[in-house]
Amino acid sequence: MKTYICLLGLLLGSAMPAYAASYNLYIAAGTHTINGAGGTTINVWGYTDNLSAGPMVPGPELASTENGSVTVTVHNNDTRPHNFVVLGVTTDTGSIVAGGSKIYTFTTPNAGVYLYADTLNSNVNREMGLYGALVVRAAGGAKVVWTGGPKYDFERVWITSDMDKPRWNDIASKGGTVNTSVYKPNYFMMNGMGGFDAMRDTNTTLVGSVGQYGLARIVNAGLFDESLHFHGNHMQVVMENGKRQVPSEWTDTINVKAGQTMLILYQIKFAKNVFPMHVHTAQMETSGGVYLNGVATLIIGQ
Amino acid sequence: MKLTTSSLVNPRLRGHVLALATLSAIAMIAGSADARSMGGTTTTTTTTTTTMGTATTTTAAIPVLDARSTTLVVQQVNKTMHDGVNVPFWVFCANGMGGGGGCQLPSPTLQLGVGQTANIVLNMMMAPQEAAPYQGHTIHNHGMDVSQAEDGVPETGAAVLGDTYTYKVDSRYVGSHMYHCHVHTVKHLEMGMYGALIIKDTDSAGNLLNVINHGGPTYDYEWNMVLSAVDPAYHANNAVGDSTVFSDYNPKYYLINGNEGLSKTAVAQAFTAATGKKVAIRLVGTSSVNATFSIKNASGGSQSFTVYNDDGFALPAPQTVSSVTVSPGSNYDLIVTLPTTSSTWYPQVTYTSVRNGIAYGTVYTSLAF
Repeated sequence: MKTYICLLGLLLGSAMPAYAASYNLYIAAGTHTINGAGGTTINVWGYTDNLSAGPMVPGPELASTENGSVTVTVHNNDTRPHNFVVLGVTTDTGSIVAGGSKIYTFTTPNAGVYLYADTLNSNVNREMGLYGALVVRAAGGAKVVWTGGPKYDFERVWITSDMDKPRWNDIASKGGTVNTSVYKPNYFMMNGMGGFDAMRDTNTTLVGSVGQYGLARIVNAGLFDESLHFHGNHMQVVMENGKRQVPSEWTDTINVKAGQTMLILYQIKFAKNVFPMHVHTAQMETSGGVYLNGVATLIIGQ
Repeated sequence: MKLTTSSLVNPRLRGHVLALATLSAIAMIAGSADARSMGGTTTTTTTTTTTMGTATTTTAAIPVLDARSTTLVVQQVNKTMHDGVNVPFWVFCANGMGGGGGCQLPSPTLQLGVGQTANIVLNMMMAPQEAAPYQGHTIHNHGMDVSQAEDGVPETGAAVLGDTYTYKVDSRYVGSHMYHCHVHTVKHLEMGMYGALIIKDTDSAGNLLNVINHGGPTYDYEWNMVLSAVDPAYHANNAVGDSTVFSDYNPKYYLINGNEGLSKTAVAQAFTAATGKKVAIRLVGTSSVNATFSIKNASGGSQSFTVYNDDGFALPAPQTVSSVTVSPGSNYDLIVTLPTTSSTWYPQVTYTSVRNGIAYGTVYTSLAF
């Protein structure tokens, strides 16, 4: 549940209004299902803004603008300590006790995308599903990556992740101690979905007309680096882990390291053409070994 | 180019993927035969016609095929690894080479000039393959940004029982790319169905130029390095279809140009060039783990080099570095300038975990000058 408060005219009459967003996040234990062949139901911990719906994997998208103010009240409804850190933005890594809550207030000076996650427990808490994205858009509603930066026509947020169901999720969810030296994830997700769903999900697929630029705000919430390959055109890397890339580099495959972010601009080149966008790393293309139900989606020229 | 809407398309995807595009309306890229076709001529040196030097290597050079007119077949080859384990691979090879034992890992290099028309035929005669829904093979011209009809992706309609791939590229693409099978990629890429795809700049007469990118510097030698790793479990005869074996990846062998190169005295490839010359090294990242390239001199010190291209496109500015990491599916082009006094350097690749960067193993080559 979020509310926006428009703080008008703080300085001069011509000043752009600054927005303040307020969120309530609840930490809960539950399950998450990957559909389709190879899919499964996994025990997870997640952030949610809807208590009755259980944990969300990934957590709700948080949004702000350049120079905006964000307040997030995190309620720990789980039985274990957790925290809430926006990597590169907030610094409070202290825990929220079970049953407790904490208010985080921070500003978002730079446009881009950021990973928020529970950083406790040697990455086990993040791997269990406690992650999401903070999107910071240019002030004033312009479709530019940052004020004065490159333009785009449409945007998507892609959160990639991985889970080791037998060795991490099954153990941690039952209160056991995970041997973190061994991590062999067997489920790989795009926005919490296997590829079969992510290739149909209109909030995930890149869909546009020839010549249009799609902005993909990519967050790798997983513990494995994601080497993502785009068919149908090269793209431009415009931001890497919060750092603007000017001039930008052209590429067809990007390496989004674990816990890091990247923003790319992809121009639709062909009308009535459909292309895959997928990870180029063997097992990460799968769910439980089933091909293309891993990290994949589609690029669709209209 | 041949698109199908039949059972060749993965039935789990057919319903929603094919509905997204009117396949019959997809235009082919103009594909008239190129008058200068070399008829699939194979060259076996690592240099091209206008280079000053001729490199020598101690291992069989990877064939370079003219992509204007090439027919590829698929064959199984077996390699005995350093521990005596025999691993089967599937490779593309020039039509006619299979019977003579000429097929090897990695698959041949394809080379195309700017403005030329690629005409690459995949002949499936006697090809080893899986059963449905992953039968057959394709060629994905990775990085060529071709239309869906030429993209070689079965899930979006590509034919898997033989096809012809036709396309042209402009001067932005001068550099290194790759091609590989896109059927059940988790299996087929690992099996060895990959090779370098090099785009060369051309002069007004259509001659290929030895420049690192359009408008970039020239080089005297070029050395293609196809980087790959091997999880033998993926190569087993029963590792087919949707199997849990593909949910985990445990690499055991690490290769440059198909060779292990376990030490500086047992290199994957020995390359010889003249002193004072410039060597272009093309890194083609077909492995499923990260791969960090560096050059050590005879004393073990790092030698810097200049990276010009990422995924076959010129960087905004060349970068002089002492290492570059090639992630799965990526390519880099670099130039190293050799000293004027003789020595031997050791270009090498350390393969690392995609989890934490921990090194799995290093593959060595040598560069004597």
